[in-house]
This record gives sequence, C-alpha cells and structure tokens, in this order.
Amino acid sequence: MGRRPFILIGLFVLIAVAGGGMASGQGGASAGRDLSLSNDACLACHGDPSASVTLGDGTTLSLYVGTKALAGSVHAGLACTDCHNDITTVPHPTRTFPNRRALSIAYYQVCKQCHFDEYSRLLDGMHYAALAKGNQNAPTCVDCHGSHAISLPAVPRTRISESCAQCHGRIAAQYSKSVHGKALIQHGNSDVPVCTDCHHAHDNFNPRSASWHLDIPQLCAGCHGNQQMMAKYGISTEVLTTYVNDFHGMTASLERSEKVRPRTLTATCTDCHGVHDIEPVDSAGLVAIKARLLTTCRRCHPTAGPNFPSAWIGHYEPSLRHSPLVYAVKLFYLVLIPFMVGGLVLQIMLHLWRAVANR
Amino acid sequence: MSEYVVRFSLRERIEHSLVGVLFVVLAATGLSQEYFSMSWAAWMLGAMGGIDRVRWVHRYCGLVFSVVVAEHLFTAFWNMSTGRARPSMVPTRKDFEDAVTRYYLRLSDQPARFDSFDYRQKFEYWGMVFGSLVIVVTGLMLYFPLLTTRFLPGQLIPAALMAHGKEGLLAFLVVITWHLYNAHFSPEAFPFDASIFTGKLSRERMEKEHPLEYERMLAASEDKPEDKPQDKPEDTPEKPEASLSATEQPGPPG
Repeated sequence: MGRRPFILIGLFVLIAVAGGGMASGQGGASAGRDLSLSNDACLACHGDPSASVTLGDGTTLSLYVGTKALAGSVHAGLACTDCHNDITTVPHPTRTFPNRRALSIAYYQVCKQCHFDEYSRLLDGMHYAALAKGNQNAPTCVDCHGSHAISLPAVPRTRISESCAQCHGRIAAQYSKSVHGKALIQHGNSDVPVCTDCHHAHDNFNPRSASWHLDIPQLCAGCHGNQQMMAKYGISTEVLTTYVNDFHGMTASLERSEKVRPRTLTATCTDCHGVHDIEPVDSAGLVAIKARLLTTCRRCHPTAGPNFPSAWIGHYEPSLRHSPLVYAVKLFYLVLIPFMVGGLVLQIMLHLWRAVANR
Repeated sequence: MSEYVVRFSLRERIEHSLVGVLFVVLAATGLSQEYFSMSWAAWMLGAMGGIDRVRWVHRYCGLVFSVVVAEHLFTAFWNMSTGRARPSMVPTRKDFEDAVTRYYLRLSDQPARFDSFDYRQKFEYWGMVFGSLVIVVTGLMLYFPLLTTRFLPGQLIPAALMAHGKEGLLAFLVVITWHLYNAHFSPEAFPFDASIFTGKLSRERMEKEHPLEYERMLAASEDKPEDKPQDKPEDTPEKPEASLSATEQPGPPG
C-alpha cells in the first residue's frame, strides 16, 4: 500500500520527463502533440532498415521500426515516446544490455503507466514471482501481448493457449486433445475454458498449492454449476452438489475456508477427471474413468480393494435407478423421523393436557 | 421403612452420565458435520477447531460409546441369564395399552399404573438400544471403509453414511423432545428428576410412579419383615423378583 504513492509520483515524473523530451524534440511546441511529427522524428533514424546495435552477448539487435509498426495495433494512436519514455534526448544516452531478453525485461514496467490494474495483478502471480527471483525466462507483458504489433490478446480465443504454448508446449498439446481443447480448436466453441479461465492471465497463482487444489471444485463449478450453460450440452449441474455432499467434497469445501492447511489433500475433480487432459464423460469416457478408478483411489488409499471404488456412487442423487440401497435408507428415515417425533410430541401434549385438566 | 428406595446401581449411574456426556459431544460433532453447509454448522465446526479435529473427536467418542453399549448389553444379558435381574425392560402388552390409555382418551381420570419402568421409559430404552446398534455398526463402517469394502459391496458405505446421519438426527430429536420432557419438563419431574444421578427415588414418588413395583416390594417385605425393602443395596441378592433395577442388583449408593 505504502508503495503506491511513490509509484504514482514516479509515473508523474516519467510523464513529465517524457513530455519534456517530446517538447524538446519538437523544438519547443508547447500546446498539443503532433504525433506524426514526433513519430516521424524517431523514424528518421529508426526507419532505416540497417540501423542496429550490438548487445553485450555479441548478438545484433535491429533498431529498425517500420512506418507500419503500429498501424494495425491497438496502440496505433500512441507516440513512440509514450512507451519509450526514457528517450528524452537525441542522440540517446548510452545504455548497455547484455542481451535482448534483458532489454525486454528492462522495458516491461513501461506498460503499467496505463495498465496499472493488470500490473498490480501481475504482482500476485507466479510469473512475476519468477521474474523477481531473477528468472530471465519468466514472461513479461510483451511475451504474450507483443510489442509494437499489439492486438487484442483473446482474439481469436485460440490465441490464448497459443501464447501460453510458447513456454508450456507439453500442456498445451494435452489441452488441445482434451474435451475442452477439442471443442475450442475444432469446433470454435467459446463456452469451454482456455488456459486463463482457470489460471488467470496476470495473477496466475501456484496451481500446485493446497489452496489452489481446494478451490478446484469451485473453479469447475463456475461453468459446471451454471444450469443455462450445461443444459446446452446435456450435462447435469448435480456434478457439484453430489461431490460436495460426499466425504471428499465436504472436506474440500470446509478446508478451503480454514486457516490451517490440511496435512493431506482430499480428492477433487481433477484427481479423477484429469487436469489438462480431461476426457468427455460419455459412455466410452465413463468406462475409461471407471477402469482406472481403483488405481486412482489407491493413490491415497493404497490398501483399497476392488469393492472400494463403488463406495463413490457417482454424480447422481440416489434414486430407484441409481444407488437404490442409499435411496431406500433415505426414504425409510424420511418416514420414520416425522412419524416418531410427531408421535412423541403428540404424547407429550396429551400428557400435559391431562395433567393440567386433573389438577 | 426408609424414606427412599435405591433404584439405580452405581454402574448404571456411571453409565448414564458417561452416555450423557458422550451424547452431547457426539451430537455436536456429528450434526455439525451432517449439516456442514449450513452457516451455524460451519460456525460450530470452526469453533471446535476445524473439520479434521472434529472428525477425530467424533471417532474417538464413538469408539468409547460403542464400548459402553457393548458393556451394557453384555451385562444385561449376563444378569438376566444368571437370574440376577428380572427382565423389567421387556415390553409387555400392558405397555402398549398404557401408551394409549383411556386416561389420555379422557375415558378415565386415573393414569395407568406402572411397574419398574413405564412405557415411556421402555420406549426410550429400546429406541436407544436399536438406535445405538445402528449408529455403532454404521459408524464403524464409516470409520473403516477400506476394511468394510474388503468383504461387502461399496454401496454400503454411502448407505451407512445416510443411515448414520439420519439415525443421529432421530436420536437427537427424541432426546430433546421425549427425554427432556420426561426427565425435566413433565409435571412429575419438573424441574429435574435426579434419581438417575443419586440412584434414589423417594418412597412418595415410588408409590405414585411405580405403584405395581411398590406393592410387590411391600408384599415382599411383609413376607420377610426383617428385610427392609431396597433401602440397603445388599438386601436382596437372592431375591431377583424384588430388584428395582433394569438389569441387575442395586449397587451401593454414592
């Protein structure tokens, strides 16, 4: 919290410096900015395809920026110095970078001038944590959004998983074969989740943490608890309620609100259905899930016998068709409890009535 | 003749207190799990230290409760088979008649006359016995699902869970209506029927609430005038007919 004013002050300073730079670049024009003039001034040098510098690692970095660099970009209206706000004089002060990556990382903070919300969410994410630890491969804004040719990151929607696939290729390949990935890639279905629907774009939390694991049912319920959406695909929204009412679901939903993290993690959706490789639970998929269920159970219950998996009665409310024994017990008590308690209360009333009447 | 009769042995009084404490703990830790999605239950679970601890407390108390149930049934069976106690808790036709008395139908002004245990007490006792058996068996199945499914089909586990929760609810409702009324709020007992804690019942109440037993006691004491009826625990070891207790001879008071 305390840092925010400083960041803001820093921003004002940057903008003031950038504005001052622009003013000097334009020869003292005070009111209004002539972008074309400003950008034209930059392109006087950076429009030369042969402009380049040599970086610390010996590689050559082209300094060429075509006139069309921002043409199709969402930033088409911006001046070069809006982002390159450290450039205030010509010739530019000398800066040295060991490699191209270091230059990208040095520039990533520029975006927060305008996109401060996204930046502050980024600070909560794993990517930023890796960057802060000095991991040069951690992604910065430009790795997903591009630099000059910036377009909407989710258009088309498949672009999201393609962005992630630059680093997470194996997982993206799994995803593209899953029920969700296939629906997106092959059928253009926009209901199915892409990477960022579960992992978030900027504040991507650690998916191996206990709190993430316990949140998974709520994550899946975002869509699978939505009756309107699920009706389109003939999927019951009871998948969540039946899970939550069972031992594991109860454990997960209680433990997620507790401060102390449990020693062992209870089974959630992904333990049976998979994570990125989720298969459809049609007749074939159901057979596959059931076939590996005992193996799944044994991951936590190593001594489980062949009858054990059927203690999970599936995502169905007990009925005559599904789990009739459980249904019978439920019905029995549905009749017995009101009968018994009602009868006893009646007896109490009679007893009281007669005791009072006999006084 | 003494002013009171000994009605419950020390063992029975300890049993009752133990079951009472266990019942409160098991109901608190059990019903809050059964209704965990309700805000009051979530609050209770949090106040008791979280679901993990609540589960362990419930399991350990359940094990102690199972031992008490087994001990009680074994002792009752043993005492009756060796002739040390009369089957005073066994329901008779008279109990069914008492439950729907002419008194309650306003055909008579006289309440039914009871023996050692009236139909309300017998009803609660047998409800407790059968309820306990259901609770203990299903509870052990839920405690040891891996072992259970080694011999039995898996669907028994969710069925046991359903039965355990509903039986617990039933027991809770019966106790807060029937038991609290009969032991605290009924005109005869108000505000507190202490006989299960002291083991004693006044001669006056004995005469009024258990007239059949009282008459039998008087008759027995007239047969043997030197024997004061049941005011001393060591009175009648050789006379099972005169025992006041459900399952065995009265123990020493206190």
